[in-house]
Amino acid sequence: MAQLTRSDLEKIKAKHTGGNRSWIKVGFSTCGIAAGAQDVYDALVEEVRKHNVDVEVKKCGCVGMCSAEPLVEVCVKDMPRVFYGKVDKETAIRIVEKHVCGKMLVNDRIYDLKFN
Amino acid sequence: MGKTVFIKDTAITGKDKTRDFYGIFLGVLREKGLENSVQLVRVVDIGLYDQGMVVRVLPENYLYSNVQESEVAAIVLESVVGNKPVQGKLVAQSSKQMRIVLRNCGVIDPERIEDYIAQDGYQALAKVLAEYNPEKVAQEMKAAGLRGRGGAGFPTGIKWDITRKAAGDQKYIVCNGDEGDPGAYMDRSVLEGDPHSVIEGMIIGGYAIGASKGYFYIRAEYPLAIERIENAIKQCYANGILGKNILGASFCFDVEIRLGAGAFVCGEETALIASIEGKRGYPSPRPPFPSIKGLWGKPTCINNVETLANVPVIFLKGPAWFAGIGTETSKGTKVFAVTGKVKNSGLVEVPMGTRIDDIVYGIGGGAFGGKTVKAIQTGGPSGGVIPKEFFDTSVDYESLQKMGSIMGSGGMIVMDEDDCMVDIAKFYLRFCVDESCGKCAPCRIGGTQMLNLLEKISDGRGVKKDLEQLQQISLAMQKASLCGLGQTAPNPVLSTLHYYWKEYNAHVNEKKCPACKCAKLVQYLILDDKCVKCGMCFKACPVGAISGNREKGYVIDQGKCIRCGQCFEVCKPKAVGRG
Repeated sequence: MAQLTRSDLEKIKAKHTGGNRSWIKVGFSTCGIAAGAQDVYDALVEEVRKHNVDVEVKKCGCVGMCSAEPLVEVCVKDMPRVFYGKVDKETAIRIVEKHVCGKMLVNDRIYDLKFN
Repeated sequence: MGKTVFIKDTAITGKDKTRDFYGIFLGVLREKGLENSVQLVRVVDIGLYDQGMVVRVLPENYLYSNVQESEVAAIVLESVVGNKPVQGKLVAQSSKQMRIVLRNCGVIDPERIEDYIAQDGYQALAKVLAEYNPEKVAQEMKAAGLRGRGGAGFPTGIKWDITRKAAGDQKYIVCNGDEGDPGAYMDRSVLEGDPHSVIEGMIIGGYAIGASKGYFYIRAEYPLAIERIENAIKQCYANGILGKNILGASFCFDVEIRLGAGAFVCGEETALIASIEGKRGYPSPRPPFPSIKGLWGKPTCINNVETLANVPVIFLKGPAWFAGIGTETSKGTKVFAVTGKVKNSGLVEVPMGTRIDDIVYGIGGGAFGGKTVKAIQTGGPSGGVIPKEFFDTSVDYESLQKMGSIMGSGGMIVMDEDDCMVDIAKFYLRFCVDESCGKCAPCRIGGTQMLNLLEKISDGRGVKKDLEQLQQISLAMQKASLCGLGQTAPNPVLSTLHYYWKEYNAHVNEKKCPACKCAKLVQYLILDDKCVKCGMCFKACPVGAISGNREKGYVIDQGKCIRCGQCFEVCKPKAVGRG
């Protein structure tokens, strides 16, 4: 992209917002990475590929719950949006198997917090 | 969407009964034949603390606390089968948090500019460049009432206006990312999680003051923050958001990164300027203030990371909106890094004027393991402590100052009953002594002398006169030091002396440390009447000071003991006494 103008900003915004594709976000700030976010991210990507589900695995910054890192936020259609905290590889696998594919929330891992 | 029920036992002490309750709840659901259509989920954290069993019913989001077994049936009947709340049982839930600075942290991918633009990124810049002249930008900032988030709280709009009016052919804007307070990491998180908002804020600031060049001064200890900012700057240049004719307007602006080499004093603006210029990071006397004569002798505006991250939102939503948040004198929100002995350590963004107990207990969840919170420390080595008796204080610049602390950059360290205030004062003072640049005598000599006195006190060699002397030296340092580091270094000592005079007295007169922290004043003893001869202390002792066996019992050799307290921690029947 070269030289954006004000109207280009609106176009980019329109292009990148909306849509109701499911997604999984992994916190990738220092706190998350130190707690093992990379392994969790890799496991999620691998599982999503294995199960061949339409869900985007994304990276993001720190939401603030540093003590619960690695944090994974999951948004799947017709399910509540939740944060899973202290996620390890096994939990990552269960998130994809149970939550994303089976539409069942995973017990004992959810941090039910609202920020705004 | 089907019904979902979250449950969690939030009691701080005792066994976690979430699983037992899960069984009861599931039983009730089975009776009604709902076990397959309703999802019952045990969660780790439900946002409430010490309020018994908490149940949340989604999607209606009804929240119940202190739920008893007998009330489960009513909740299932009313809220799960029906869609109504149980009358008289509903708990009000309003998050105390409000996200302005952290609006995109954890929401967008910080390495993708498209994500930022999708969240209205660079819209504020486009609006400012197209519709406002620099004077108007500074006026709007003044109207918003944003105050510098680096610590001192100088109004940003006024700073921009002074720099704008200062005479000079070249002006600079600097983003101060040399965050060095122990326990504070808000700036790092913003730089890592939302680098574009800081860049956008800086470009707007640059436009307001008439600068064509900006510097990011980031400490080298933040490699990821540097990487993300570098990447973001590259994307900006590629998209015409930095460089010549930004977003098609006539304004040109360049940005460079400078790395701090790990000196705390370089967060002080004159030292920071020296460091960017390639000189040793020594502070110099003010005035002249950097706004008049700063980087390479040119007018320079220095803003903190968090300050700049506020700027785009102010121009998007308008200064009146921003001025409506917070208190009369402190507008907007403040990000705190809540750390220490608190359950949920992390970043918290609350409107100014929020009470301390709402942050520590409401969001932070209180202390670990059933202990009680003793105090908080804000403002890093320049701040002071606030005892829990004063937790009804609201966080804003003036209230904290009244309490003998400061807002500072936003570190909030929670201390529990095991923390000794003399030890805390010693910790912060040692930090300042280590980081003192040594240029001026009050800071260099005063700090060291105070540290010696504190060490004397915590070693049990203190005399009454030492406490007076501590106060005297503090006063001299505050009055005579060259820069903020020395002027504020005695603050932790003064505030602990003020609030915890008794504790200092106990150290000096009774040679006792009430919190049992100061090693030289504590003694560990095995109480024979309670000892079950399990040998845990024997195994835990790292220096082999405990001798004995499972028949005869154990005894601590005081000569070898290093007072680490590990035997005390591991002893289940509490047979290790300390005092």
